[in-house]
Amino acid sequence: MGLEYVKISPGFERYMPRDYVDLVKMGQFGRQVDVMDLGQFKELVEDHPMCAGCYMAYFIRIFYASLPNPEDTIVLGTAGCARLALSQAAVPFIYGNYGDTNAVASGLKRALTIRFPDKHKDVVVIAGDGGLMDIGFGMTMHSWFRREKFTTIMVDNEVYGNTGGQESGMSPKGVQLKMAPKGKQFDKINAVELAKVAGCVYVAKLSPTNPKRIAKVIRRAILAARHFGPTFIHAYTSCNIEYSIPTREVLADARNREKKDFKFYEWMTDEVKEYFEEMEKKEVKA
Amino acid sequence: MYFVAKVKEDECAKYNCKQCVLFCPEPNCINFLEKKGTAWVWPDKCKGCEICVYVCSDLLKRNCIEMVMVQAGD
Ligand SMILES: Cc1ncc(C[n+]2csc(CCOP(=O)(O)OP(=O)(O)O)c2C)c(N)n1
Ligand code: SF4
Ligand SMILES: [Mg+2]
Repeated sequence: MGLEYVKISPGFERYMPRDYVDLVKMGQFGRQVDVMDLGQFKELVEDHPMCAGCYMAYFIRIFYASLPNPEDTIVLGTAGCARLALSQAAVPFIYGNYGDTNAVASGLKRALTIRFPDKHKDVVVIAGDGGLMDIGFGMTMHSWFRREKFTTIMVDNEVYGNTGGQESGMSPKGVQLKMAPKGKQFDKINAVELAKVAGCVYVAKLSPTNPKRIAKVIRRAILAARHFGPTFIHAYTSCNIEYSIPTREVLADARNREKKDFKFYEWMTDEVKEYFEEMEKKEVKA
Repeated sequence: MYFVAKVKEDECAKYNCKQCVLFCPEPNCINFLEKKGTAWVWPDKCKGCEICVYVCSDLLKRNCIEMVMVQAGD
């Protein structure tokens, strides 16, 4: 980790794979890219085996393009579809047991703070609805109760996608899935309100229909976690396989959900709001 | 043989729009050539989901992307 570690030692350039050279020369290390310039720089994440048209994969693509400091970031994931892409990026990735992301992230963030007292090392968890709100629920909650300073992103496809379609706490009530043939009996968990009560200082909910806004939310969540406490993003990231959405209609579905239960929502404490206002004033001046 | 997106570059260059690039789920797959002002698809990376076609044809009514069959090694 760190910029020096990423650079290619002089003389070795011609032996490095093309993808890596591109990453260093035309990538994101050491500079802030604009997500609207996608397609004109080498992205941090590479080819991966997530399904065609998967909008969880899309969200992950935008996530990497939005990182404020990729060379000083560690991503944590767990069992579930997201790790298939998270493990193919040029950002250190830690894969824990199913559901333990937020416990591992807590320890890691504390250790990094001791090891690098005058540097920001960003720790970000990206895990599924099952990983964070079902099986890892206790660890997610306790990291928030203890105000651990890292970002948690829930990529919510409303199902256990990776294991063939069991219902999760985040599946909507009544929905019929391959392994919930009678339809889900209970309501979808209100993760955003839980995050607020449990102590998160910045919380956002979105459907991936606007890359610029996703990038802004991700940056804000990471910056607020550096200084103030836990932050949480709840992103709708459809599973076209388990919900039988024709791939061509995946974005249409995201736009549709945005009009219903995934309206854009952003909440932060007064302290965090002040911090962003100050930062934005400075940016305008510069 | 597999199905991939192909940008009709002459058509696309008329708009300088880039919206397909911003909504593709695959990294480094649809790129943008600033000089020509056109998007282009790296066929090896395309999984054929057609989200770009939805963006270009259904949303923007510009019809600059078609789906084509390619052979491995094309
Ligand atoms: C302790 C443990 N229990 C069960 C599993 C099996 N398992 C792997 S992925 C998964 C579900 C994933 O669902 P979710 O977290 O929503 O991620 P998605 O695949 O939907 O993105 C389960 C149950 C496991 N790997 N470890
Ligand atoms: S199973 Fe669903 S969530 Fe998993 S990669 Fe495929 S489309 Fe995406
Ligand atoms: Mg899931």
